[in-house]
Amino acid sequence: MDTSAYYDKLTKVFHHVFDDDSIVVTPELTAKDVDEWDSLGHMRLIMAVEETFRTKFSAAEVGRLKNVGEFVALIESKAAG
Amino acid sequence: MSALVAFKASELTLGQSAVVEFVVSEADMLAFATLSGDHNPLHTDDDFARSKGFLGRVVYGGLLAAKVSQLIGMRLPGRDSVWTALSLDFRKPLYIGESARVEGTVEAISESGGIVRLKLSLRAAEKLLAKGKAEVVIGQ
Repeated sequence: MDTSAYYDKLTKVFHHVFDDDSIVVTPELTAKDVDEWDSLGHMRLIMAVEETFRTKFSAAEVGRLKNVGEFVALIESKAAG
Repeated sequence: MSALVAFKASELTLGQSAVVEFVVSEADMLAFATLSGDHNPLHTDDDFARSKGFLGRVVYGGLLAAKVSQLIGMRLPGRDSVWTALSLDFRKPLYIGESARVEGTVEAISESGGIVRLKLSLRAAEKLLAKGKAEVVIGQ
């Protein structure tokens, strides 16, 4: 799967978790840009991503993320790993 | 009163389950009517309930949800958890005095997120009363 396919899949996750089909998922996107992306929203997002991409993250991995671009890189590294 | 447990997300496994068994009494119905302010005769008047095709007064759905609260808060995951979402799809009525049980089964766990999803089923013997899901956040 190439990087754009990860973004396509992740976009569907964002739309579902935050119940907002207008969200455009870009590498620069952060929690500040999405109304519902608070601490609970973040927990829901992590679980949904883990289920969608059939992977698991550690709390440290998740805690280091600064934006969606880093999140996608982490997901890709898990898939490659 | 059932024993209080305190599972961390890392201590849970997929498929792990817990059960709370209960019988709703007349006193429970009266207490819930007062607590909720719901005095709908479906729950308070046998004749009215029978006129609507039921066998008698129907146990409040909210009272069943209260048993889900006991399951989550006391048994799975227990003390350090708080439910953040609940859905229940009611299928059959429960009547006063019937033995019933609510079972929660761990369906998804995110250790890094500190969040789990439980699949719920409520039954009276083989009769499916309701099924649903609960999302639960577990403190570190």
